[in-house]
Amino acid sequence: MPWLECDSRRIHYELAGPPSGPAYVLVNGLTQYVRLWHPFRDALVAKGFQVASFDMLGQGQSDKPSLFIHQDDQVAVLGRLIDKLGDRPIFVAGISFGGVVALRYAIDHGDRIAGLVPMSSFAEIPAQLFMFGSALRTALVLGGTAFLQDLLFPMNFSGEWLHSMQHLIDLARHRGWLANDVYALQNLMESFLEFEPLTEQLPAIRVPTMILTGEYDFLTPRPLQESLRANIPDSALVIIPRAYHAFTLEKPVLTAYLATRFAEDVMAGRWRGNGTIWVAPENVGGELVPFPEGFDHMRAIPVRTQAPELAPQQKATAS
Amino acid sequence: MKPFLGPLEDGRIPALQQTRVSAFLISAHGALTRQLGVALPVSLHHGWQVEMHSQYCREMEILSLLGRATSWVLDPALGFLLWQWEMAWLPHPISGVADRMQGVLIDLAAFGHALHAVIRPAALLPEGYPDDDPFALALRRVEFESGRLMQAQILFLKGPQLLPVRDAVASAVEWRHSQIRELWQNMLHTMEIDISGRHSLVPAYKPPAPPVAAIAAQPSVAIREP
Repeated sequence: MPWLECDSRRIHYELAGPPSGPAYVLVNGLTQYVRLWHPFRDALVAKGFQVASFDMLGQGQSDKPSLFIHQDDQVAVLGRLIDKLGDRPIFVAGISFGGVVALRYAIDHGDRIAGLVPMSSFAEIPAQLFMFGSALRTALVLGGTAFLQDLLFPMNFSGEWLHSMQHLIDLARHRGWLANDVYALQNLMESFLEFEPLTEQLPAIRVPTMILTGEYDFLTPRPLQESLRANIPDSALVIIPRAYHAFTLEKPVLTAYLATRFAEDVMAGRWRGNGTIWVAPENVGGELVPFPEGFDHMRAIPVRTQAPELAPQQKATAS
Repeated sequence: MKPFLGPLEDGRIPALQQTRVSAFLISAHGALTRQLGVALPVSLHHGWQVEMHSQYCREMEILSLLGRATSWVLDPALGFLLWQWEMAWLPHPISGVADRMQGVLIDLAAFGHALHAVIRPAALLPEGYPDDDPFALALRRVEFESGRLMQAQILFLKGPQLLPVRDAVASAVEWRHSQIRELWQNMLHTMEIDISGRHSLVPAYKPPAPPVAAIAAQPSVAIREP
């Protein structure tokens, strides 16, 4: 079983796929562990990528600091893994709180990576997300990991998916409960509730960036991804139809398809972020559709965007 | 090595395994209860002493529950193991803290934190084990309560009053974690149990088959003008 050493901590990681050529590094969400990436990872490997995934400090089989976990430590671990992959095109994809770690890495070490994919991620914690986070932390403290999972399942997935996976939910809950320790999860959550906004540092990310968001994600809703799009220069926002927060689990093959296309476009020099907004296809092989011009992508109903207010001189010219 | 207790005998955890697990838990929680009892004054004068009293009572409940829910058998190995465990629970001096009394409290909290955080007795139960078994219910209860009991230790150890000695606190807690983890794992190894194996279980998630008919019936995602 492969291990990384980072400041005397042991980090569990997995590598799959060819050892040369482009690589993807996947960064976990809060209650995730490496094995939950397998369907997504396998789809990337099938497209010729080597894929590295790891348990963050406090997760799965990696060391779990007893009291204090700092985001800087997680970024350092990500850096160690990227260094291990050597000099080749490396793309980093992180979901939710893993996306924050990926963003922070890209801010400081953007020259080491070829592209960035923040998924269901955020650069600041506004009141709604803060209250979600605080309530989830209280749920963990009072009801344990099982209660936290009871809340996260319906927040992360669609009703259709939960229904189709009903026979596996209890097992999934049990496996998640086995893999996660309350104190370690609590430390992780607290390290994020205390974090300083990254928004002002986002323009420092110069690498191509594809921001993925679920159409129905209410845990990290679109304004949070819009903040990334508006501040990362070479970014595009891609909305995945009918997806909730954890689409790498609910739609692993489709998400891997989008990640593959992005990496191929970047490596072929075709990628143009330009702050554009796209709607992802519902199925693998479909085309991305530009978000209809003149409509507000921040709304859940089709509302026309307001024309910018013209100055009196501009009005005269226009008339 | 296996990740869970068992193999089952008549559908139950073997009595010898119950005995050894409960003996460990009673030894550790008993030591914590005694130390709390010594630290607890007869009359309470501060808010935090109320929490300490609550901890003391809940630890007593854990001891009582395990004592009654376990199927006990004679276990000759326990003589040495109990001696080893009891020695380990003795107060441990904290380096880097000048105030001796504060050092004692930090060690007590570190011991409590490690015991409640590291030891997950319910995670030893085989998947699908009956919910109505008293021993299983007791282990679940101990683990569930541990998550709550730990909060008092976290508040104290992360609190502003210990900020000047934060490194010493972190070292003390790491040391107790490491100590208790090693003793727990060693005890489990005597029963051919290795809890690290639980991480390699097959993931429960698999991508569901695409609902072709449903997708075909769905409208286009593109927004059209109203």
